[in-house]
Amino acid sequence: MFYKNKVKEIEEKASPINILTYRKLVWMKFKSHKLALIGSIILVALIIFCFFGPLFTTKSYEDMDFSAIFSPPSISSGHLLGTDELGHDVLIRIMYGGRISLIVGFLSALLTTVIGTIVGLLSGFYGGIVDRFLMRFVDIMLSIPMFPILLILTMVFGSGLMNIVMVLTVFGWMSISRLVRGLTLSLKESEYVISAKAVGVKNMEIILKHIFPNVLPIVIVSATLNVSYAILSESSLSYLGLGIQPPMPSWGNMLQKSMNYILGTVSGTTPWWLTFFPGLFIFLAVLNVNFLGDGLRDALDPKFTSNS
Amino acid sequence: MKQYFLKRFLELIPVFFLISFIIFMLINLMPGDPLLQMRMDNPRAVMNDPQRIQALREYYHLDDPLIVRYFIWLKSALTGDFGYSSMYKVPVWDLIANRLPNTLILTIGAWILGLIIALPIGIYSAVKKYSFFDYSTTVMAFIGISLPSFWFALVSIILFSVTLKWLPVSGMETYGITGSWNIFWDRLKHLILPVCVLGLVQVASWVRYIRTSLLEVLDQDYVRTAYAKGVPDKKVIFKHALKNAMIPIVTIIALDIPYFFGGALIIESIFSWPGMGRLMYQAVIGSDYNLAISCLMFLTVITLISNLAADLIYVLIDPRIRVGKKA
Repeated sequence: MFYKNKVKEIEEKASPINILTYRKLVWMKFKSHKLALIGSIILVALIIFCFFGPLFTTKSYEDMDFSAIFSPPSISSGHLLGTDELGHDVLIRIMYGGRISLIVGFLSALLTTVIGTIVGLLSGFYGGIVDRFLMRFVDIMLSIPMFPILLILTMVFGSGLMNIVMVLTVFGWMSISRLVRGLTLSLKESEYVISAKAVGVKNMEIILKHIFPNVLPIVIVSATLNVSYAILSESSLSYLGLGIQPPMPSWGNMLQKSMNYILGTVSGTTPWWLTFFPGLFIFLAVLNVNFLGDGLRDALDPKFTSNS
Repeated sequence: MKQYFLKRFLELIPVFFLISFIIFMLINLMPGDPLLQMRMDNPRAVMNDPQRIQALREYYHLDDPLIVRYFIWLKSALTGDFGYSSMYKVPVWDLIANRLPNTLILTIGAWILGLIIALPIGIYSAVKKYSFFDYSTTVMAFIGISLPSFWFALVSIILFSVTLKWLPVSGMETYGITGSWNIFWDRLKHLILPVCVLGLVQVASWVRYIRTSLLEVLDQDYVRTAYAKGVPDKKVIFKHALKNAMIPIVTIIALDIPYFFGGALIIESIFSWPGMGRLMYQAVIGSDYNLAISCLMFLTVITLISNLAADLIYVLIDPRIRVGKKA
């Protein structure tokens, strides 16, 4: 993005004397994208914080501290990010809630990517009636108002973790499939695919060995963007009370509960920390996934273009 | 050209019916019983008489197969009868007609606000590519894209309404206010927060689109020619480049119209804004089948129309596209 000079430098280094493999090149470009590097470090820190953080405390997300209800964030009371109306420690709940949000994000991004890639590859490669049928279906799916349908589906199927992942997957694979289809269409006409066909390589093998590796960079980039989309959708659903159900905390349902006290508690003060911190973590997770995606886009693009 | 429009329009019709079928099926999968609300509102013995319930079930075709019920619904919907809302006890169409203006005020306000902010920022950061300004807008755009709108809304309520007490917390009007100027001012104050939240959330991605689109055009030969001829910078950007850069931007902005209605769902719920989004949310939560189906179908129609509009605008304003003739 803002490292044109750096790219030039890398290109010079990639002279015949100093051979760089694609993988090395990608890593060098990724390293020079500062936002992406910082983003991935923060993301790893977030994952460690959510999955290993609870191991360092004896308290669980259900433990209540009745002596400290609505206590504001402070170091002396032992509740770094304060407590809620039942004396739950906000920090610990954020860790457990983060597990849910991150699992939903990564799992549904993985599933949507797999489905979208398969549909896109088949549609683009085989063309004809397969293509027309699949792409029509994609058009229809894209015209359905997504968010209200997510609401209805979580009501129909219930709101467990796996159900949310399933609902987000069923309504999330279309854009990737369009992208992959477009790329496959142009790759299909490339010389190496035509020659592979000419020597009698089987269709499946052409798709897997010759086309798939070339769509992979774009697929990886869209997959990261899908992670952020899924995290946002899960938290929105939980916020509306249809996602992960209490007592299990999730970033979204912590925000929903905080809504009850937005005008102040019995004592008259607004416990802003109940609203601020869970949302901050959603924001941090999504932001850094997006940074990572941008860095990957710049690094994985084999054409050295970086004008976005 | 006319033929192309007609063809595109006719293509929408089967899509519309398919989506209406999917939505009808999904809504009828929702847990709950359409008669439950009716019985709860009317707890007299008459309503709980099994014979009467059975008669009502038959009257509403509740025991018919779903596919038969779909066609019954379709027939009455096509004649303009969308049924009664079980929650509000009024015809669904009246409810929608009542709520739609409120949503339009909110979304059009947010749309205009978003454009007013996004256009100059996007243009300026494309013109000053790789400058400090460009760099900071890119970071800001990332922040904007990643901001959960409902959190943004909640934090601004806490800040501006609860702590600073500048703006009302929620709703659309304060009761008991007289005088047309006071009413206008009161409405405006209620509008500020939801419009800002809805509009600002959209600014980030628009800025990115405007910047990318303008950069692409600025790279082209005819722009370089204009510069070489000695045309002033401002004229090149606004007269030569922006005209072509606007083509994809207009389509993107048209495609975002349904997002505003969908995104309004959460924002309207947070601010208790009596619009379509909140109505839809209440209908789904309260298992108000007729209302939910109608709201969803309404949103679908808006989505389909804005997709079509985006395509048509593209064809109309881009002279490079010739429809009907083979290239």
